[in-house]
Amino acid sequence: MEALFAIAIGALTFTGVYLMLRLRSFPMILGLTFISYAVNLFLFISGRLRSGAAPIVGTTDTPADPLPQALVLTAIVISFGMTAVIVMMSLGARFEGGDDRVDGGSDGPGNRPETTQ
Amino acid sequence: MTGDWIIAPVVLPAALAGLALLFARRNLGLARGISLAGTGALLALAIWAVATTGDPQVYRLGNWPAPFGIVLVLDGLSALMLLLTAGLALTVLVQAVTTGRDRKGPHFHALWLFQVMGLNGAFLTGDAFNLFVFFEVLLIASYGLMVHGGGAGRYRAGIAYIAVNLVGSTLFLFALATVYAVMGTLNMADLAVKLAELPPGDQALMRLAAVLLLMVFAVKGALVPLQVWLPGTYANAPGVVAALFAVMTKVGAYAAIRFGTLVFPPGNAATGNILSDLILPAAVLTMAVGGLGVLASRGVARVAGYAAIASMGTAFVAIAGFTAPGLGAALYYIAHSTFAGALLFLVSDLVTARKRGARLPGGLAALFLVAAVAVAGLPPLSGFVGKLFVMQATADHAALIWSAVLGTSFLLVLGLSRCGSRLFWKADDAPAPRLSAGELVGPLWLTATLVGMTVWAAPIRAHLDGIVAGLLNPAAIIAANTLGAVP
Amino acid sequence: MSPALIAALPFLGALLPAIAAQAGRSAAALAAGAVTLAALAGLLAHAPAVLAGGTVTAHLDWVPSLGLAASFRLDGLSLMFAGLILGIGALIILYARFYLAEDEDVGRFLSTLLMFQGAMTGVVLTDNILMLLVFWELTSLSSFLLIGWWQDRPEGRQGARMALAVTGGGGLAMIAGMMILGQIAGTYEISDIIARGAEIKASPLYLPALVLILIGAFTKSAQFPFHFWLPHAMAAPTPVSAYLHSATMVKAGLYLMARLWPALAGTPEWTAIVATAGLVTMLVGAKIAFFKDDLKALLAFSTVSHLGLITFLLGLGTKAAATAAMLHILAHASFKAALFMVAGIVDHAAHTRDIRRLGGLARAMPVTFALAAVAALSMAGIPPLNGFLSKEAMLTEAAASGLLVAALATIGAMFSVAYSLRFLAHTFLGKPRKALAHPPHDPGPGLWAAPAVLVGIVIASGLLPMATFGPFVDAAAGAVTGGPVHAHLALWHGLEPPALWLSLAAVGGGLMVLGGWPRLRALWDAAPRPEAKAMFDATLSGLVSLARMVTDALHGGGLPRALAITTAALLAGGAWAFLTGSHSPGTRAMLPLEAAPMVVWAVLMAATLAVAALHRNRLLALLLTGIVGLLLAAAFAWASAPDLALTQIAVEVVAILLMLLALNFLPRQTPVESSRLRRARDLGLAALAGLGTGALAFALMTREAAFAPISAFHWAQSKPGAGGTNAVNTIIVDFRGYDTYGEIIVLGIAALVIFALAETLLASRRATARLAALDTGGNAGDPHPVMTAIGLRFLLPMALMVGVYLFLRGHNLPGGGFVAGLVFAIALLLQYLASGYVWSSRRRRFDSHALIGAGVLVATATGAGAWVFGLPFLTSGYTYVKLPGIEKFELATAALFDLGVFFCVLGAVLLAIATLSRLAQHTPDRERRGG
Repeated sequence: MEALFAIAIGALTFTGVYLMLRLRSFPMILGLTFISYAVNLFLFISGRLRSGAAPIVGTTDTPADPLPQALVLTAIVISFGMTAVIVMMSLGARFEGGDDRVDGGSDGPGNRPETTQ
Repeated sequence: MTGDWIIAPVVLPAALAGLALLFARRNLGLARGISLAGTGALLALAIWAVATTGDPQVYRLGNWPAPFGIVLVLDGLSALMLLLTAGLALTVLVQAVTTGRDRKGPHFHALWLFQVMGLNGAFLTGDAFNLFVFFEVLLIASYGLMVHGGGAGRYRAGIAYIAVNLVGSTLFLFALATVYAVMGTLNMADLAVKLAELPPGDQALMRLAAVLLLMVFAVKGALVPLQVWLPGTYANAPGVVAALFAVMTKVGAYAAIRFGTLVFPPGNAATGNILSDLILPAAVLTMAVGGLGVLASRGVARVAGYAAIASMGTAFVAIAGFTAPGLGAALYYIAHSTFAGALLFLVSDLVTARKRGARLPGGLAALFLVAAVAVAGLPPLSGFVGKLFVMQATADHAALIWSAVLGTSFLLVLGLSRCGSRLFWKADDAPAPRLSAGELVGPLWLTATLVGMTVWAAPIRAHLDGIVAGLLNPAAIIAANTLGAVP
Repeated sequence: MSPALIAALPFLGALLPAIAAQAGRSAAALAAGAVTLAALAGLLAHAPAVLAGGTVTAHLDWVPSLGLAASFRLDGLSLMFAGLILGIGALIILYARFYLAEDEDVGRFLSTLLMFQGAMTGVVLTDNILMLLVFWELTSLSSFLLIGWWQDRPEGRQGARMALAVTGGGGLAMIAGMMILGQIAGTYEISDIIARGAEIKASPLYLPALVLILIGAFTKSAQFPFHFWLPHAMAAPTPVSAYLHSATMVKAGLYLMARLWPALAGTPEWTAIVATAGLVTMLVGAKIAFFKDDLKALLAFSTVSHLGLITFLLGLGTKAAATAAMLHILAHASFKAALFMVAGIVDHAAHTRDIRRLGGLARAMPVTFALAAVAALSMAGIPPLNGFLSKEAMLTEAAASGLLVAALATIGAMFSVAYSLRFLAHTFLGKPRKALAHPPHDPGPGLWAAPAVLVGIVIASGLLPMATFGPFVDAAAGAVTGGPVHAHLALWHGLEPPALWLSLAAVGGGLMVLGGWPRLRALWDAAPRPEAKAMFDATLSGLVSLARMVTDALHGGGLPRALAITTAALLAGGAWAFLTGSHSPGTRAMLPLEAAPMVVWAVLMAATLAVAALHRNRLLALLLTGIVGLLLAAAFAWASAPDLALTQIAVEVVAILLMLLALNFLPRQTPVESSRLRRARDLGLAALAGLGTGALAFALMTREAAFAPISAFHWAQSKPGAGGTNAVNTIIVDFRGYDTYGEIIVLGIAALVIFALAETLLASRRATARLAALDTGGNAGDPHPVMTAIGLRFLLPMALMVGVYLFLRGHNLPGGGFVAGLVFAIALLLQYLASGYVWSSRRRRFDSHALIGAGVLVATATGAGAWVFGLPFLTSGYTYVKLPGIEKFELATAALFDLGVFFCVLGAVLLAIATLSRLAQHTPDRERRGG
């Protein structure tokens, strides 16, 4: 099963990185979502894999490592907040700037790397 | 329990921000009062911390013993960073209030307090994962501050800023997961102890984790090639916010120093000199990229952004060796460049607040001159002393580093003189409004700070050397953690 | 007066002229003059002692660890230079009072001038090479400000920038040189360094130190090949040209070479570099000066030439040559400053400085002519003026250095005669030109008084050299060469010395050159010649293009390039770190494959890769993303993480719904924009990243941790220590409650940021106009059909019940405040989807901001509550409560903390949703949405 998890992490990263490098805000944000899927799973497996042993006292004596689970919970919540903000930011850019490109210079119109005479 | 005040730099701004949200949402005066009083109190606290901190002090949250619970560690370095943050935050906050920049959008003061809380939390924590959490706090607050006031340029730059930092945060998690999977712990002192006993077969993984962590800090600290987010962000952020951001890059430097002295000290059995090996070349390139950027740029905000990159290069060059003289020089230079960079951003804010093409007042030109002299490291301000400190500490690699340091100064002189002469030397257009008293508060205070840092360079450096001596003796921090002691 | 105070006085008094200027130009000039004369008086009070061979010192520690100290030392050399700086400074202030126009900001001008004066005095008085650097760069800066004084003139701006680039850049090289010198000598005090000349010259670092210091000196003193900036500095007002760019600042380099002469001079390297540069500069400057038509340009190149002459003398490395150098420094300062002032007077009177348009002014301006004549003849080296004395001394030294040197020096002197006479003859003699608009006339005494004083000195020192310059030259040369010097200065040394004959040859040749003027001029015009400014500009613009190229390459491509660079760097760094370390593969036994999870895995893989392939259809991609998220929850559930599964589902639902709402405002399709090559690059990066993370994950999962994980403690203490059976929850609210504290604050801030964003966006006319023009064409359909709406309204209380249940059981079983908050939020979110925002918000009587604020405060107060019991922040307590009818349940402060979490989550999600729906209010189909 470990190999399946590893391959899944790799695939999620692959899709995430590829989409993240797109030129429009929406696929870029989807890419970031995938990357955070990947890293949440990665963080989770840092406690190794164990099935049917939820870390609840009284239900098992050889529990899965609870600490990475707690860390992933924190990470999920944080990445949710971050996603919400960047989604909103992309709407801001779309309505103030007129389109949803992200490659037009990270600086906005008229602010491209300067030229001097 | 004594020592509860150690957590005050985190809890106080959080509680005040909560109060501001509850009671001052439609009352700007009250919100100003809350944030000014809070930041002022933090400054007083930080001064006291710097004055009294000797041996590292550990605060166990939830009364759990390290390494099982999270601990705060207050040592000389954290106290210094608290002071830098509070000093800068208060100065710039006053400027934001007196110039009314805080009116341009909602929640400025709550975000400001959360921002300071995040910074303080990052400087105080002794736990690697908790450092991640507070990185996120300070980042998300900075996202809000960065787009304060709105505008297409800001939103676009904001997207880029968030996206790059999200990648950085993700990387942080990859690194922490690797660390936990190999070491089974997250407490920094515990990591330091265990790393010394790491079996050889696990070393490659920890080298990887060390480099990933360094890269996380490099994103924050704008170390080439991970500086890509900075110019657009700083150029588009409101001036007062960019001025506060002068301390944000220092978080990266702080974390690199912390991990490089405590967790991965140079020459340790597991990771060797891996941090130094990467930081040195990257720092030299950072100086070059920053210097060239200053020369290539036109607007003063953008020039200031690239100058910030160059200053991080200089700081990291001094950090790279993790030696006593290098770190002492780095801390001085970090403090200097925080205030100098902030000054330049405040000047930039005052310039952009005036009509484009109007003849700018002479007082503003004088402020620009002071800021430019400080940023370029020219005499007689602290940048020059800082540069000499850095050069003195890097005499072993003089040919490379001195050329880089001085070459960067040269590029900065060229770029800043172009920028300044274009801004201030022009035919008699319609004059822009003169500087008001409110606009002068922040710049004058920062100038006074820089002058003070210059005049009292020797005692300041002596104090910093004391801090560095503590850093290079990680045993003290480890002992203060009393690892494994059951309550 | 302490030498430190002498140097500090001009700085301290720098503000006075600016203040006094309120009372007029004269008051400003008086203030500046008083400051200068006070410093001069303080200096001269020491003159008798210093001329007798004594020194005056002052020392103040600054940064001892650097060797940087505010130490000052007044000896013969410093006395001569400081006297020049302050003496001529006083005359310049007088001249500037009458030179500058009524409407100029004289106060600011004189303030800047005083700052320069202080810096320059500091350069020559300090006894510490690092302190010298401080003053040195200050002279560059003040020079920059003064050259650019007339801000509206482009040549001023360019000249100023060029001067700063060259001299400031040279100063930077000198910093390195001085640091090396200090490290060789083990001290940064000049008086100690010059005592260790032998050690220094023997050091392997001598040559780098020498070269770097000479770059500083040569740039400052306009030595070839750095001479080109000086003529462009003539854009400055004439008092500045006279003061900075002929009499004082440009001599700083000479001062430095003289100062460090005992430490650096006398080696073959020194002579080869310094003497050669000086000689070349002398010749080049003299030749160009002859052909210049602008009076100030002519004088500028002549200054270059004379500076070269002095450098040449210092480069020879002999005592006699050094003495001659001192003499010429004095002579040159006196006649050249006078000549610049004369040029300024002519400019004022005739409104042009172009020699071709001038001529015959002698009759109209007799006083000016007289002053010009004396000064120019001194420059030409005609007896009995002081220029003759120093030129003779120079030619004597040249003659002793071989035939070639003597010949070249004589040619230089010849051109010097030629341009001096041209200056005089073509301006004042001949026929008056008619073209001048205003008939020129002599100025008032205010303007000619200062040059008159200088001309008086030129004559007096020529006639009575031993009584005037003698003691100063002796003292200065003694300080330079480190031994007593008694120069024999006289106009007549008899017929023996070759210098006399060379001098005569130079005068004769000079007259012939001037006689051949028209023909030589034609030749000059025809000959191609390198234009230094063009070369400098080309170099600079090359540098700027390079800078722009690098900057553009790194920062110009927007976010995709930034992220590609970041990704590539991470991959490279990570791979390097891993591959250079030692690694042994893990030995942990793997779990056997199971059928059901394999199916989930296959679907997850397919959906993940499908998103990459089909991402252009945004709605589809988003739905597939949601599916992937839910499958991840299944994976968590399988792998013993029910809390994670629950949270993942809840978060996924909210996140996908939010993005779905956001997608309403964005295009449905992503266009094909990137080139095939670029997509290949991105696929490559993505594949490497996927490979890296996958392999790393595999490596970690198949090995045991090197040390026992700390979570064993959490497991063991979950019930007895933290009072809960769900170890994940006890970690979250207790063991690592501080993480959670930070986490809910992140969420709260996120909501604030989103709210602030929307608020600002809706205040922008441009954004609301775009919103109003948004084509939501039909995608919304009927947004809230009646059946769904009513059904969901019934569902709401049930969902809320579930939330409360999850909240309460969290400490012992999967659940907790976070999930409960999300469930509440989802319930309200569904209600919004079904019934519209307005309907929903009208029925909600709480403010999301207040929820967030309250959440933060509740969590903080719970944490701080422990202080009451003398325990650290976030220490939890719990107790068991037995209520009749309900089984025993536990009351933990951690639950209160969890309540804070709940408030924050609920407030944040609601605020985010409210924000999006506020945007929707502005779209064309708002009626339907508003319901």
